[in-house]
Amino acid sequence: MITGQSIFIGFFGVAAVWFGIVVFRTFSMVRSAIALLFSQTALGAMFLTMQAEFLGVLQIMMMATEMSIMAFFMVMFMMDPGGMGKMEMTHQKRLSLIVGLVSFVGAVAIAVFIDWGPVATTVADTAQQTKALGLELLGRSMLVFEMAGVTILTAMIAATSVAIQPLPLSAIKHKKDRV
Amino acid sequence: MSVELVWALITGAALFGVGIYGALSQTNLVMIMMGVELILAGALINLVAFWRYLHPDAMSGQMFVLIVMTVMALEMAVGFGVAIARFRSKGSVEMEEAAELKE
Repeated sequence: MITGQSIFIGFFGVAAVWFGIVVFRTFSMVRSAIALLFSQTALGAMFLTMQAEFLGVLQIMMMATEMSIMAFFMVMFMMDPGGMGKMEMTHQKRLSLIVGLVSFVGAVAIAVFIDWGPVATTVADTAQQTKALGLELLGRSMLVFEMAGVTILTAMIAATSVAIQPLPLSAIKHKKDRV
Repeated sequence: MSVELVWALITGAALFGVGIYGALSQTNLVMIMMGVELILAGALINLVAFWRYLHPDAMSGQMFVLIVMTVMALEMAVGFGVAIARFRSKGSVEMEEAAELKE
């Protein structure tokens, strides 16, 4: 049955996919980053429509920050960030298209032909959901949650150590002598 | 079957397909990372849809969404770290110029 919720999910779903396609269709890298931001925001709006308010807001906030950083890196690293020269930056296009289409068709077939069983019509209100999620994270799933925290810390250290410019040997020796 | 669940799963499938296309076809490291972000976005929408329409009482569904969001952030952080290192040493993050990494 078509409901208001299904209309909004369809609308935001089409928007998310459309902006996802735009990411790889535009020559401007900054536009790519902004299109990805809109795609992820549409996804956040889908979460809100599905009554997962906490996750929806988290998704929109996180992706807004992440994509702003991405746009910044795009301008730093690209030879033509504005896409004025219309540089071709793709390879093996046909193979990629076939693999992408096969993945899409396979996943749609699974979504449509599998009987997912009875569907829940109601869901707990936002406050109860957030409380239950907090209890889940600090109770039964605490180990997984802690592991995620430690992994973030490890990744931050790894990313920083990879990114910092190594000092030349002479500079290290000079520093040692001064100490 | 619920129309909403099928819509959400089809959206997830489409994002996954577009992400696969992007990750395979792009030559720039940052664009490849964008493809991976879309693949993970496809996983996210599936997780939320399964939680909402099949098991709304099990909060482990939402917990998994938080884990996938963490993975997205980590992928970006480590990817940009590698991109900076590569740009410093070679002056480019084009993957077609990174064939020596295979050797």
